[in-house]
Amino acid sequence: MSELGPIVAEARERLVERARREGLETVGYGVVDSPLGPLWVAVGPRGLLNIHYGAEPSSLELRRIVRTYGPGVLPDARRVDEVARELDQYWSGKRRGFDVAVDLSPLTPFQRRVLTVTTRVPYGALVTYAKVAHGAGNDRAYRAAAAAVGDNPIPIVVPCHRVVASDGTLGGYSGGLDAKRRLLQLERGEVPPGGWPSRE
Amino acid sequence: MTSPATFAELLERHEREIYAYALRLTGDRDDADDVYQDTFLAAFRAWPPPKRGSERAWLYRIATNKAIDRGRRAKRLVRLGDLPLAAPERDGVSLADLAAAVKALPTGQRAAFVLRKVQGLSYTEVSLALECSEEAARSRVTEAMKKVKEAMR
Repeated sequence: MSELGPIVAEARERLVERARREGLETVGYGVVDSPLGPLWVAVGPRGLLNIHYGAEPSSLELRRIVRTYGPGVLPDARRVDEVARELDQYWSGKRRGFDVAVDLSPLTPFQRRVLTVTTRVPYGALVTYAKVAHGAGNDRAYRAAAAAVGDNPIPIVVPCHRVVASDGTLGGYSGGLDAKRRLLQLERGEVPPGGWPSRE
Repeated sequence: MTSPATFAELLERHEREIYAYALRLTGDRDDADDVYQDTFLAAFRAWPPPKRGSERAWLYRIATNKAIDRGRRAKRLVRLGDLPLAAPERDGVSLADLAAAVKALPTGQRAAFVLRKVQGLSYTEVSLALECSEEAARSRVTEAMKKVKEAMR
């Protein structure tokens, strides 16, 4: 069956195009290369839904997407082209903010508020989880805010890597702390003496 | 196996075998492409797939009907020999002979033969795919086998 693979892949492209034209495809996804490894990227009718570190989707994210947009999730590189282009510019240092629309509608209202605050943190800046909780309208919800930041379905574009703990340690990151360090290094061009402190 | 949650998951699980089936049934890549696309578009429109693991037979049923709908099946020879998907060569019988014999079968028998002997479906699955009783599926395959053997003598 080895020679069947490319033939089916070609047929699948045509199938996906027809599904898109007929409105059967609600969400398209693709895998984008990055200096931090492959990224699984999904785009829905209202914008970017998910960036996941790795070539496969997270089952939690996929469930969220299906709950919001139904089962019409298909591999469709065309849908992720724009995100891929902006990410490339970001990695090469030519882009400091993203123009693609992000769609946080699969999340709870509190998660949306927290991530909206996170989105406003400027390139290269750092804020604390406490400040994000404050910005989301609940000073005491520090842990919930940290959880919402940690559960960010659109890392990099919603820059949760700019959120750190109040004691100056890095906190956590869905792509691993090394990825967080590299993102901060890219944006700030420097690392603190001795590297970023962490509680690893 | 749980039901697929997304169209992509259904494709990942079954697209290769459905494409191979379409190719064997139509004997032509363009026709197989059409049958494959029509089959999955119909499956997406009819979502969700039936439960209890019968999604495979469900797809074969749609594919069989799509192939019949196109009304082109008998037009071309199944070029099994051209493809790495061919049934294994047995007892010195050439694939071209086998292809010709399969091509000569009536529609129902041909589909039953390909589903059972090439795709390896169980008789329960063949009966679901062809919307007939299991007994009818068995008799179609038996009849097809008899004809193929006769043709190969």
